[in-house]
Amino acid sequence: MISSTVKTGDETPLLKIRSVQKVFPSQKGILASKGAGVIAVNDVSLDIYKGETLGLVGESGCGKTTLGRLTLRLLEATAGQIYFDGEDIFQLQAKALERLRPRMQIIFQDPYSSLNPRFTVEQIIGEALLIHKLADKRNLGSKVRELLDQVGLPAEYAKRFPHEFSGGQRQRIGIARALGLKPEYIVCDEPVSALDVSIQAQILNLLKSLQEKNQLTLLFISHDLNVVNHLSHRTAIMYLGQIVEIGPTHQLSLKGAHPYTQLLLSAKPSINPREKTKALPNIGEAPSPLSPPAGCSFHPRCPEAMERCRRESPALLEVEPHHLVRCHLYD
Amino acid sequence: MTLLLDIQNLSICFDTDEGTVRATQNISFQIRKGETLALVGESGCGKSVTALSILRLLQEPPARYDSGSIIFEGRDILHLHESELQDIRGDQIGMIFQEPMTSLNPIFTIGDQIAEPLRRHKNLNTDQARKETLKLLQQVSIPAPEQRIDQYPHEISGGMKQRVGIAMAIACKPRLIIADEPTTALDVTIQAQIMQLLQDLKNEMGASLLLITHNLGIVAQHADRVAVMYAGKIVETAEVLELYDHPSHPYTKGLLNSLPKGKPGESLEPIMGTVPHPAFLPSGCAFHPRCPEVMTQCKTSMPPSFELNFGGKHQADCWLFDR
Repeated sequence: MISSTVKTGDETPLLKIRSVQKVFPSQKGILASKGAGVIAVNDVSLDIYKGETLGLVGESGCGKTTLGRLTLRLLEATAGQIYFDGEDIFQLQAKALERLRPRMQIIFQDPYSSLNPRFTVEQIIGEALLIHKLADKRNLGSKVRELLDQVGLPAEYAKRFPHEFSGGQRQRIGIARALGLKPEYIVCDEPVSALDVSIQAQILNLLKSLQEKNQLTLLFISHDLNVVNHLSHRTAIMYLGQIVEIGPTHQLSLKGAHPYTQLLLSAKPSINPREKTKALPNIGEAPSPLSPPAGCSFHPRCPEAMERCRRESPALLEVEPHHLVRCHLYD
Repeated sequence: MTLLLDIQNLSICFDTDEGTVRATQNISFQIRKGETLALVGESGCGKSVTALSILRLLQEPPARYDSGSIIFEGRDILHLHESELQDIRGDQIGMIFQEPMTSLNPIFTIGDQIAEPLRRHKNLNTDQARKETLKLLQQVSIPAPEQRIDQYPHEISGGMKQRVGIAMAIACKPRLIIADEPTTALDVTIQAQIMQLLQDLKNEMGASLLLITHNLGIVAQHADRVAVMYAGKIVETAEVLELYDHPSHPYTKGLLNSLPKGKPGESLEPIMGTVPHPAFLPSGCAFHPRCPEVMTQCKTSMPPSFELNFGGKHQADCWLFDR
């Protein structure tokens, strides 16, 4: 059982993200070479502590997947540093990076496109084990069966192909693949959003028990606040490439401080029919990351926008211990 | 309240190379005038097939209507000719599809697409249809309608496309709106706005709404009555408050228990196992392999609908209620 208590500051960060920026150059036109483009991740700094689950929440296009992939160096950053256990991952040469790879893994969103359809389950799970010499041809079968058992799949599935499985079973295979290398850190990129409700709960319970048993550090990316609240010790809210609020999950889920967090909380439909969700103000849609608004990027949709928000971009400030908010209302 | 739609014992099969797949089995439900009925279930349970069958949009073959009737305002949809169906589609029954990204035609402007049902059903000329389309764009809260009307689907966002989809569906003021997972593809803040819009428009027009979804939050907020589907059958029907107060079928209970309520540290009770493939349904009650309360008779015989005595009309297809 994960305790929902706050992780305090004296714990060691496994990941230190410092002023990371990622710009995708726009492909079209003469501006392409001049550095114009989409700022997918804009000056993000945060720590992920050993053994914690950090939830990363935001709407599509806010940069949460990009940030997750940067922490694994599946993407190169435009600026900034990310330290994994003290090493700046963007400075590492190929050899050193390869040594680091087994310690950091990812579980993908779509279990239908993230497994090679021409590989058997044993090949899918075993590929990385062979590459990193955690198994050889002789004991591969038993290693794979062990992993299948950990994620609740029968051993005889090892010889089957992905198309023979349902979405939930495929996601278990993806989890077994990530676990195989005994990683310390796993990025879970919307691991349940493609699954049915009854299957979602199975996978969430599995991830939770694996996290506790193996003391894993998870970055759990999702657009669903309920799912994140269920799993995370701390939650970070992202909007247009920036972290707008970060703090202990139980504080955020009760009363988010940032107007955007409050909007997300009030927008999710309550499953109690007696508790009618308040009618939302017509706040429109998120602006295109190609042309983010001046000042605070949330101001065009913010019900509490002030004159200052249109001009000045707010800084991320501490409002309570370990609880930071990027909003002029709090400075 | 009077009935608008009455579906009785509807069974739909698909004849495929691998044999006959039963998509729905003997399903019956009614929609009254002005009410919202939510059809809830997981992927592959037959809810979209049911929705498409009301407009006869399934391709026949492979689809085949094995038995039953779909009575809409006194006429059986299953016995109408194609031309009669075309008079109903988009006029008396409007449909909103799941994926706004693929349900609009990419080579027509959004104005053309909204105007199409108006010209077909209301015999409006080009100018009148354009005027009416502008009004509809305003009604679905699309900013700057005079510019949007001449844009193509790729030029607008997903939320905006779904607003266009809604404008098309309500253009002729239908008596029944069918919304098949209208907000699944959208972000949560957009989702709330679209559901609000749909609810307001439905009330304004006095139309009925068949809301197809797997999201139990949306059901709780927007439905008057709920029908829960599992493996091609309706397993429980009740008014919305009644269903959430007294969920009775083990599948309904399982669905509600497996939802994170958003409280940190709570434990989830998932439904074990997976949804069966429609071509290989288990014997007896299709839910029995996953049911925590399974009894011997569940494995051999399919339960009929039993009336439950909680007050109010409430039915569940489960042997637990055989007294």
